[in-house]
Amino acid sequence: MVTAELLADLKAIFPELKMAGEESVTIFPKKEEEIAKVMAYCNDSKTTVSVVGGGTKQGWGTPAKTQIQLSLEDYTGIVEHTPGDMTVTVKAGTTFKELQGFLAQHSQKLALDPSWPAYATVGGVIASNDSGPKRLGYGIARDSVIGLRTVYPDGRIIRSGGRVVKNVAGYDMNKLFIGSMGTLGIISEVTFKLRPLPKCESLALLSFPEGNLEEVRRFAIKLLDSMMEPVALELLNPFMAGNMADRNCYTLAISFEDVETSVRYQEQYIKANQPARTSLDILTDEEAKAFWNKLYTAAPCGLDSLEEGTGSNKETAAAMKIGIVNLKVLDVIRECQLLSDGGQVAAEAHGGLGTGICQVVLRGSDDQVAAGIMHLRKFAVQEGGYAVVKHLPEVLGGKVDAWGDKPSYFPLMEGIKAKMDPNRILNPNAFIGGI
Amino acid sequence: MAFLKEIKTNDQHIHKLAGIVGSARSILYKKEDLLAYDCDGFTIHKHLPRAVVFPKNTEEVAAVVKYCHENDLPFLARGAGTGLSGGAIPLNNEIIISMVKMKRLLRVDLENRRAVVEPGFVNLKLTNSISERGYYYAPDPSSQYCCTIGGNVAENAGGAHCLKYGVTTNHILGLEVVLPNGEIIEIGKDGVADEPGYDLLGLLTGSEGTLGIVTKITVRILKNPEGKQTVLAYFDNVADGSQAVSDIISSGIVPAALEMMDKTAIEGVEAAAFPVGHPKDIEAVLLIEVDGITAGIDEQIEQILTVCRSRNVREVKVARDEAERGRWWANRKTGFGAMGAISPDYLVQDGVIPRSKLPEVLARINQISEESGLRIANIFHAGDGNLHPLVLFDARVPGETEKALEAGSLCLKVCADVGGTITGEHGVGIEKREEMRFVFTEEEIAAQTDVREVFNPKNLLNAGKLFPSPGRCVEIKKEMKASAAL
Repeated sequence: MVTAELLADLKAIFPELKMAGEESVTIFPKKEEEIAKVMAYCNDSKTTVSVVGGGTKQGWGTPAKTQIQLSLEDYTGIVEHTPGDMTVTVKAGTTFKELQGFLAQHSQKLALDPSWPAYATVGGVIASNDSGPKRLGYGIARDSVIGLRTVYPDGRIIRSGGRVVKNVAGYDMNKLFIGSMGTLGIISEVTFKLRPLPKCESLALLSFPEGNLEEVRRFAIKLLDSMMEPVALELLNPFMAGNMADRNCYTLAISFEDVETSVRYQEQYIKANQPARTSLDILTDEEAKAFWNKLYTAAPCGLDSLEEGTGSNKETAAAMKIGIVNLKVLDVIRECQLLSDGGQVAAEAHGGLGTGICQVVLRGSDDQVAAGIMHLRKFAVQEGGYAVVKHLPEVLGGKVDAWGDKPSYFPLMEGIKAKMDPNRILNPNAFIGGI
Repeated sequence: MAFLKEIKTNDQHIHKLAGIVGSARSILYKKEDLLAYDCDGFTIHKHLPRAVVFPKNTEEVAAVVKYCHENDLPFLARGAGTGLSGGAIPLNNEIIISMVKMKRLLRVDLENRRAVVEPGFVNLKLTNSISERGYYYAPDPSSQYCCTIGGNVAENAGGAHCLKYGVTTNHILGLEVVLPNGEIIEIGKDGVADEPGYDLLGLLTGSEGTLGIVTKITVRILKNPEGKQTVLAYFDNVADGSQAVSDIISSGIVPAALEMMDKTAIEGVEAAAFPVGHPKDIEAVLLIEVDGITAGIDEQIEQILTVCRSRNVREVKVARDEAERGRWWANRKTGFGAMGAISPDYLVQDGVIPRSKLPEVLARINQISEESGLRIANIFHAGDGNLHPLVLFDARVPGETEKALEAGSLCLKVCADVGGTITGEHGVGIEKREEMRFVFTEEEIAAQTDVREVFNPKNLLNAGKLFPSPGRCVEIKKEMKASAAL
């Protein structure tokens, strides 16, 4: 069906809904039942549909070109917050920043640190399982989500989990939706368990000017084997450390959050154990926050993809997430620096030595970036890990597989997809293996 | 295949299965041997299995499962049998696949904070194996000295310290699984986080042995906290104790554990094997533990003491040493069994409520106790709102078992009605199948059984657990009562 006809059709069926259409029809529901009605319509008429929040992840994976796009930008707000229970229920279109701002008034926070917090919506963060360096201390989406309301492709509204922090009633269906890239259902509300805002925060930047990664490894192992409790232990490659903190060498960003006496004590530990020939800076509260905010917005995202292109003076930028056994992060980060040093592609990289998750930004010509992605994927897979593309500019769409090889249990994933979205209307082909 | 001579039965399947697991000593099939397997920690319901097999490795598990799958034989996996909701009870005369011979610690990798175990490996043994080097495995169910990690994965087991550190699902990095058709899959290869694809690790953990049989587990291990302090606080009324719990949490402290016992529970633990001298006339005791960087603990303990005093605590004290701390915990962790000292039988429930509803819920449980004429002791993980009402009864008195079951169910209804759930860590099993309707609609239950069909289409693996059978509600209640009366 051409878009004009689809739009006319939809307007006739849903006169109350705000919609706009150029290349495809975008609908802006305000209520959950509106989402459900649209889904049921799409399911019956086999119209493909995808969901968008702030748009930061429009280049994540293999975005589907669907006939309808559901924008949740009008579906926002806190549904329920019980400070004494330390839980909050929020509508999926709410931005991460707005939620954190609200919770901060109660000295609480959602213990996640995703990228682009001012634009990324709660639904998008959960659907993509985005995470940041502080996952070392606080875990990831699957550790904070305790309940979901999801609109299934046939319009059913299904709750999973609940509103309490401990719950084993039935299957843990929340987990299916977290990181499912919008291929199973539309998350409409999320209930999280919360943490208190830390009373004090600081960040140690420990730089290794001589570039000896063996020293970095020794220090990291010693710190991890100590009883210190860093909430982030992130290694930045020289290229990224230069851009972030004006130092062109391997740098560890070590974050502490606790009561003040504990934070100061841990800073002292770092000072006392600082390896020779390194430089150390301690950033406190606001400075530390500013550093992390800069890091959260360092990678390209879906919001700027439209400005990029193959033109002569415009470079292409892609973002990758690489998962690997924790300490092999050192090898991935080195590999990124070698790419940069070799002039093949500019690679800004950081990775958690206690988490095994690396984030890499590649900039250069289309071909350079595509080659960089392939190279890093090959390296990660050889080392027992994986690499996915979190932001793939449209120009690379046909050249690069965003997800890599299918897992051995892919038939189970297909089975789940077939049960939940038998007509394959939701974000078709957007996820691994073309699911 | 030749029959194994020493096996004396005409059941050909037993001979075939014995062939798969390699010897007659790896299979039980005589009634007298099977009796030990007719229930687990949920003893109200009993059924005999057809046989019990003891595979030694993944391949044998897969071969047994494949055989069952091809011959339409119901089967299920069993660890130590400590489950409290009946998940390992062979309702359908299942072949039980016992995992106790697969009990090796395969690998410890401290630098990358992970360990690989076989499913029959006992929970506490993992911590004991790495404690010398300052590490531990966080999930600590009360039965941790004998329960297996495979069983913990099936039930998504919790424990007293999951308030700060999370439950089993938060510590599982990878699984090797035998699917109900005998196929072997690996999820979370090498323990690498966030493997792209649907999170089957999360789905399988807590699926109560209905989606697959776990044969290898990669877990996260943690470094011991530098310091730890434990506080005991006695309250003359439950409302003050509950309010203290809320105040501690809202003051921004994340305790490692925050446990509560009421007067009846205190009577039990003091009459049992690990008394610590709790005053007999107090209404509530709180056991609070804070761990982390030593330098930061003192001020948190001070804050906790201040909160308790502001809530009219009668007495509050900090454990002087590890020995005293150990006694307090032994007293608490053996709390369920301790009820045996004051009652011939007891039924453990496992509801969860929003913390803020604690006083209201305790009052309603009290009312249920009065109306049923049965005493109900309350032991709970107050910090995360996970209640364990223990309904005390005497099975020898006709009708009392049914009354106890009903009182337990009513307690769960109260939890569900205030926005909570029917189980926080023990699982649904057989026990709470019908109570699933307190928290989920038919549609929501169907959404879950749809997923089961993907993994377990023939429903031979642990059938009849976890979900209510549509329209069979009345029948099952009758069956429960008939079986309870035995």
